[in-house]
Amino acid sequence: MNRLRLPLASVPLIAIAWAAYAHNAICDCFDNGDDTITCEGGFSDGAKAVGVPLRVLDTAGKVLVDGKMTDKSDFTFPKPKVDYRVQFDAGQGHVVTIDGRDIEQ
Amino acid sequence: MSSSSRPAARLLAIALGGLVATTAEAHFQLLYTPEAALNESAAIELALVFSHPFDNGFTMNMGKPEEFYVVAQRGEGEPKKTDLTQYLEPIEWSGLDSKAAAYVARPPRTVTRSLGDYTFVLKPAPYYEGNEDKYIQQITKTVINVGGLPGAWDEPLGLPVEIVPLDKPYANWVGGVFRGVVLADGKPVPHAEIEIEFLNHEPQIGERRFDPAAKVTAPQDSFTTLSVRADAAGQIIIGLPKAGWWGICALNLDDGLKHDGKELSLDAVLWIKATDMK
Repeated sequence: MNRLRLPLASVPLIAIAWAAYAHNAICDCFDNGDDTITCEGGFSDGAKAVGVPLRVLDTAGKVLVDGKMTDKSDFTFPKPKVDYRVQFDAGQGHVVTIDGRDIEQ
Repeated sequence: MSSSSRPAARLLAIALGGLVATTAEAHFQLLYTPEAALNESAAIELALVFSHPFDNGFTMNMGKPEEFYVVAQRGEGEPKKTDLTQYLEPIEWSGLDSKAAAYVARPPRTVTRSLGDYTFVLKPAPYYEGNEDKYIQQITKTVINVGGLPGAWDEPLGLPVEIVPLDKPYANWVGGVFRGVVLADGKPVPHAEIEIEFLNHEPQIGERRFDPAAKVTAPQDSFTTLSVRADAAGQIIIGLPKAGWWGICALNLDDGLKHDGKELSLDAVLWIKATDMK
């Protein structure tokens, strides 16, 4: 039975891997001009990125904000006072990193 | 040919020459911006010019547009409509041998700041075409994309007349084909009359003119404006042999419309861009 379970259990994993590779993760951020930053994400087939982790890290890699994309595939956070980068993490090979210095109004 | 028939032949040639001059070019409402597929959001500059894009011929005066807006959609999110009429700036645009009233618009970056598709829509004022004693109104769409995240490029906007893309209008390789469906009142128009022109003289928005240099030369007048028909389902398929913008116009989609007591031809224009593989 155990031998049978393995291939069955791996079916959803294969499907997830295929779906992830079939389209690219996309993320972009802008400065709202009120000391907040909004990041928007999605996939190149138009699919939403609801629940995809979005982290804000300082230059040492310390997590300043640990968020998730809302049901509108976006996430707003207070603009850090220090240099930072944004990491949109849609899984292995699908991580988009944006330097805070490139985020404009 | 006998010598006695020559004057008649000459007259015929003059008459035909006149006919060629009035039918070789198609009127096209331009809703131009240089790039269709942007890697990053930017302020989008647009030129609204009523002209003959292949040969940069006679450019016609535009009246104040009735509607000018953009519909934005990011992925599967809700579409968002933004009125752009406040950004219209009347200007004089120079064609090769004529100048005409036109508009430019430079909405701020905040309008196109999000990822996704942006369908710009222009409903110009009806234009009186004296040669045909009728009005022409071309409802025009130009679709661009920011960042590669698609939106509803394939959805109708519910316009009175429109060409709905079946392929992304902003992501076409040269050598491919573009397909669309002609709709009037939301229904396909079987065998719709279609004209296609290549934007042969690139608009130079800063200089308020078309580039005087042509990209290609037509071997004969039939190639200036390509004429095709939609199929029985209102679908069109066109080839894209050259990089740049291509205008597709579905003509006379109205049903006995009038403006100021004269016939009004209600047309649907869609601009698409082809890109070289390199």
